[in-house]
Amino acid sequence: MERTQQEIMNSKDKILAALRQNVRETYDMPELDALEGISYPDPVAQFIQKTTTTAGARLIEMHAGDDVNSLIRQAYPEARLLASNVPGVEAQMNPDTVSDARELMQVDVGILQGHIGVAENACIWIPQTMRQKAVCFAPQQLVILLRREDIVSNMHQAYERIRLSSEYFRDYPFGTFISGPSKTADIESALVYGAQAARAVTVILSD
Amino acid sequence: MSTSHAKQAEAYLQNDAVATRHDATFYGVRQKRDKMAQALPEWEQLRDAASQIKKHTVTHLADYLEQFAARAEANGVHVHWAKDADEYNAIVLDILSSHGVKKVVKSKSMLTEECHLNQHLEAQGIDVVETDLGERILQLMHLAPSHIVMPALHVHREEIGDCFRRLGLMDEVKDVPVPEDPNDPTCLTYVARMHLRRQFAEAGAGMTGANFGVAETGDVVVCTNEGNADMSTSIPCLHIVSMGIEKLVPDLSSLAVFQRLLARCGTGQETTVYTSHFRGPRPGGEMHIVLVDNGRSTILADSEHWQTLKCMRCGACMNTCPVYRRSAGYSYSYFIPGPIGINLGMLRDAAAHSGNVSACSLCMSCDQVCPVQVDLSQQIYRWRQRLEAIGQANAMKKLMSQGMTILFNHPALYTATLRLSPAANWLPSALMNSALNPWARGHQMMKFPKKSFHALWNELSKKS
Repeated sequence: MERTQQEIMNSKDKILAALRQNVRETYDMPELDALEGISYPDPVAQFIQKTTTTAGARLIEMHAGDDVNSLIRQAYPEARLLASNVPGVEAQMNPDTVSDARELMQVDVGILQGHIGVAENACIWIPQTMRQKAVCFAPQQLVILLRREDIVSNMHQAYERIRLSSEYFRDYPFGTFISGPSKTADIESALVYGAQAARAVTVILSD
Repeated sequence: MSTSHAKQAEAYLQNDAVATRHDATFYGVRQKRDKMAQALPEWEQLRDAASQIKKHTVTHLADYLEQFAARAEANGVHVHWAKDADEYNAIVLDILSSHGVKKVVKSKSMLTEECHLNQHLEAQGIDVVETDLGERILQLMHLAPSHIVMPALHVHREEIGDCFRRLGLMDEVKDVPVPEDPNDPTCLTYVARMHLRRQFAEAGAGMTGANFGVAETGDVVVCTNEGNADMSTSIPCLHIVSMGIEKLVPDLSSLAVFQRLLARCGTGQETTVYTSHFRGPRPGGEMHIVLVDNGRSTILADSEHWQTLKCMRCGACMNTCPVYRRSAGYSYSYFIPGPIGINLGMLRDAAAHSGNVSACSLCMSCDQVCPVQVDLSQQIYRWRQRLEAIGQANAMKKLMSQGMTILFNHPALYTATLRLSPAANWLPSALMNSALNPWARGHQMMKFPKKSFHALWNELSKKS
């Protein structure tokens, strides 16, 4: 069924005209500055607590002198195939240079750089900074690197940072918040980790 | 006198164990939601803001749609407009056919259910694979969703295990030790994981719905716990988004309000595991957004029901509804059950779905939990007032209403009837509590008091 450009335009015009005609009373946009999201005296402590409880991830605090590569190996000692393009991280596969996204489905651990941590829900903002974003979802496990200073209390603050940044969505048109491993409770409400994406997540928190 | 919902519910309630379990499952989700609400001091402020943002957006929807479409197109996305389900189905088929796609992986979308997309594509020989675990289970078992967020919680693990074994899914997984319980949810989920990961690898296109569209940036935001929307769009290069036109929010600041409410209200979690922003095609890929009206612009003109357009499909109204919990999704004739489904069904086709408006005790719990403050129960009440006008009023109730109108408008007749009512006590129980008397179902008929309240009141007044 070939549809001409004219028909498509017609539907757009029809929908917009109907919406304009059918509006009865209009309402103003509320002032959102007045809405204060919950804030924590120690957002880092709250973030750690949420990450290791409800989000179901592990968390390693990195100290001065620690080597990130040995922490990754410690977290997943049995992993054979690692994928990352994070500078300084040793990995056999690079999501910038794989020829096909499917290759990343074989990966044991994907290592990602987190940019914002959110204390209220353990979300970590991961803008796409690699050619194949499959590295964020397809590996069996993830390690997410995050700096303590990048932790905010709530989603209002996180979205404010995203809004003001020119860095995100610049190289690739995608970004995602990830809060722990993939989960499902679709069979009799039993919580199971690792539905389709990562089965386990370790957050490495650094200064 | 029974409505279609009442009849279906009665059949459902024959199995007490199943009904009790269903009730407890969803009440558990409701309680988790309460904990989330109580943990945030700004909870009611969030609900106020969400309602106001949606009221503003849907009453300026044409402007926001133009802004959204322009941004998305500038981001390299193909934007399509569909005025109804037929047009929507044709557009999706066009995109898939022109790319030679034989298999499509799909994350959960109520809009595709509304438009019967799967059937349309399958009739053209395209293999449609649902990737949300619950949806996939239902698809393999040839069942419809019973809930919009947790679609398969009414199915038991034994049935799922049997289905997987029958279809040979278990045999495809070699490396998993057989657990003590052959239907262990962890084991079944692993089997499904391996099955679905093969589907992602084989598919030529990924389809998602949209939880939100951000007008300011052109972002499509998809929230899942399983990561299936992300797998569907990270492996195949072609991404098609199906989006109802009411899904827009103005900007990222507004989105924060809804992101915070969605999972807390829907499943009692602080967030979904993944909140993904799609702002354009992947390198070397293509992204299409199909904006679908299918009756939404007409709802905007309905002064009593336009606020259903604020709904973000979190499912909280179902989880709290005492009628939904005890009658389950299949008792409703519309594919979306519960309080929001009753209203959306009536807006879709009042004659076909008026049998659902009885599925409400007017307890108003749904109004209290709705994150965007849709006046769900009051809308249901208003539909009941309109049943006569649309020719769906119950003849027996109509007769009784007419009788009561006469009775209440004639005080002498009313008093006389009241004085005679204790005579009913002398009727044999077999007659009073027979199947012919709908009021005696599920409980004994009451005894009429010898003296009415009126009579007692008058006596007391005389004494004092």
